[in-house]
Amino acid sequence: MSINPSLSLAEYLERLPGTTFKKLYQQPSTTFAIFRRMLPHLAKTFVMRMLFLPHPMTLADLDAWVKPEAKRKKDQSLSILRSLHIVQISAPSKEKPQEIQLMSNFKRSLRLALTGGGNHNSFGVPSSLMVPPEIDLPFLDRYARKKWEDVLHFVVSSVGYKSSLGEGSGPNKGVKELLIAGQLVDRRPNGSLGITQAGFTFLLQEANAQVWTLLLLWLEVLGNNKSSGLDPVDMLSFLFMLASLELGRAYDTNALTEERRNMLPSLVDFGLIYIPQHKRSMFFPTRLATTLTSGGNSLRTISEGSLGLLGGGGTGEQAGSVVIETNYRLYAYTQSALQIAVLALFAKLNMRFPDMVAGRLSRASIRQAINFGITADQIISYLSAHAHEQMHRTAALTNKPVLPPTVVDQIRLWQLENERMKTTSGFLFRDFTDDKDYLDTARFSEEIGVLVWRNDNTRMFFANKHEQIKDFLKSRKKAE
Amino acid sequence: MDAVDVSEHYEVTAADNSPSLLSIVLDTNPRAWAALDSSLSLAQAISNILVFVNAHLAFSNANQVAVIAAHVNRAVWLYPALQHPSSTTVKDNSGDVQMHDASAETSLPPPSANKYPQFAQIESSVFSSIQTLMAETTVQDLDQLTTQLSGALTLALCRINKAAQALSSSDTTLSNAAPVNATAPPPVKGRIVVVSVSDSDPSQYIPTMNAVFAAAHNQVAIDTISLAGDSTFLQQACFNTNGIFLKAANPRGLLTYLMFGLIPDTEARASLITPTHDTVDFRTACFCHGKVVDTGYVCSVCLSIFCTPPDNAECLTCGTVLALGNYGAKPAVLPRKKKKKKKIANGSGREETGSATGTPRP
Repeated sequence: MSINPSLSLAEYLERLPGTTFKKLYQQPSTTFAIFRRMLPHLAKTFVMRMLFLPHPMTLADLDAWVKPEAKRKKDQSLSILRSLHIVQISAPSKEKPQEIQLMSNFKRSLRLALTGGGNHNSFGVPSSLMVPPEIDLPFLDRYARKKWEDVLHFVVSSVGYKSSLGEGSGPNKGVKELLIAGQLVDRRPNGSLGITQAGFTFLLQEANAQVWTLLLLWLEVLGNNKSSGLDPVDMLSFLFMLASLELGRAYDTNALTEERRNMLPSLVDFGLIYIPQHKRSMFFPTRLATTLTSGGNSLRTISEGSLGLLGGGGTGEQAGSVVIETNYRLYAYTQSALQIAVLALFAKLNMRFPDMVAGRLSRASIRQAINFGITADQIISYLSAHAHEQMHRTAALTNKPVLPPTVVDQIRLWQLENERMKTTSGFLFRDFTDDKDYLDTARFSEEIGVLVWRNDNTRMFFANKHEQIKDFLKSRKKAE
Repeated sequence: MDAVDVSEHYEVTAADNSPSLLSIVLDTNPRAWAALDSSLSLAQAISNILVFVNAHLAFSNANQVAVIAAHVNRAVWLYPALQHPSSTTVKDNSGDVQMHDASAETSLPPPSANKYPQFAQIESSVFSSIQTLMAETTVQDLDQLTTQLSGALTLALCRINKAAQALSSSDTTLSNAAPVNATAPPPVKGRIVVVSVSDSDPSQYIPTMNAVFAAAHNQVAIDTISLAGDSTFLQQACFNTNGIFLKAANPRGLLTYLMFGLIPDTEARASLITPTHDTVDFRTACFCHGKVVDTGYVCSVCLSIFCTPPDNAECLTCGTVLALGNYGAKPAVLPRKKKKKKKIANGSGREETGSATGTPRP
């Protein structure tokens, strides 16, 4: 059983076969969530424009919508739409121009999601029982935060930074096993637990990506385990449904299918839902669940209001607490042991105040992090995901990047000092019959954004995905 | 090897996914809708607009929406609903004067499981507000032929401004200290869509244009879909704010117009070719009678526009006494040509042209 621990949601979805998507798009809530979460902005605009068109439209028309300088963006959008099986593009032929249309399943479900109606119950059946008065939004936020912090503490404490919580309050046994199975932590020969490189990657992700990483691990583990009787597609669909529920409202567990009810205990362990002790027939989605379909940035903006409790899954780790200056000094306004532990992975912290820690990035501290298996890109994305409000403000006012470019470059340089190679897994295309064949294929792969390297003299190119190139080659052959 | 130098570091920017706020101004002039009723009733139009609103919200859950009715005598919030304590009997509210998103409302019936909760809230809020609005409309109100558009535009701008401030700075002291850079992109992508069914009211020219210039200054685009009537000022509004002006030839297809022409927000428009308006009616209204004029008189000091010379030649806005010159003097075109020849011969030019003050009209 091979599990790729750093699997992102996009990669996971792309590997699913087309029939799975057909099933996923049966449910309006799933369709809606995939639309919201997975597509780039331009692709969303395309989908919306095509949504109420009665007939397929020609690709040439689509080209006419887009400004010439945005062609690359358009091609990438189309490529994503195709890989998620949202659009269908007819094969090129001599008689008819290429046509594009939305998949009928997707179209019907998204229309239903926007207009309402139907009888699919995919947005959750609210519970008709009385809601206990003590369950309000702060309560749910506290609950979800506690659960999620437990998970993170478990991962982080294996590095040797002891959490402030007692040993007994760790996550459930099932979650621990999942983390081990997902190779976020592994058992060392001496019996203790140690964090892996995937674990570091996990820690440095923003909260939303962390939740998805864990959920995908869970799907994969259960999917491989046939005896569990759970269908990964149905589970995924259920997760997307959770994302479209309303925070603070009670939902009825009896309206769920048997399989979905069986998933609930695990979701409680992750902190995605809450089930009151004495009322087992209702569940409350927490903020971790309802923000599943929002990107990292929108989490930041949501947390602006009164909702800032759970920015990054930790108390002090609310989105935006780290200030980094051009002289590599780093200040973090936090009390959370968790965030301090994470920062200590790549920065040398030398001062600690009741509400703040200060330190600096140095060559030695970054090298130490790289030895742990953390990459420069992870550090940079962590810093930008947790940048302080003030950093965002000054960046917006002066029209500059959030992080000082000099620091970003230096972190990369420090990494490059002994990592002089970057590997990309992919496919080498060579032995083309003639030059035109080669040039066309290479140009196509560049347009859809999968081209990594090309050499025109030897007629070879390297791409990190091959499915669409394969289709392209096939359709070329047919056209001849 | 050169991985560091390819200016990759600029990808870590702040505003790659800022929320987008859509304000819809719906013209609810009862007369105009009655005239349109055969092709598109108000109820149908509202359902179409709600689908459009849902589509906008579907883009991202940070996106926000506001719906404002521009009625004959006032502008009214449809969503988020402004609750009057006096009208508690009519609406399902908690008597809260504060304006709040409907998510805070507790007394709503539980939503259907077939609908995204937020969509259901907006729908019920819009429908109940519009019912109240129509119930409160009196017979006298119907005498009005035009709509209070400027008020609605101003409300929409206030809402966008409020949202932008809430997003850009959580504490005001810091933002006051920092110099405001005019070139910085706004923290929220604001946009106003006006659904217009009636003519522009010339008496509202000045307030409307004030709102338009404020919108242009805040980089808020005003888009218009005109279902009926002659909306002169809105054409100018769209032109000034880089918005889209659509004249719906067939009002029945409102949803298609909305979904196709107006769904891209300002971010998507950067890469899309937007529908252009080839003819823009640039006529203005005069300051004295509120009439739309082609040619008029302009005060040389404050640039106020008048359709006739004001009394005592005194500007109504700034009070400057203006000299009209020989306005109305007949330009003598033919004799002058002859004089010109003479002038060149004589070499002496200007004494001959007696009426030097007034510029002859073409």
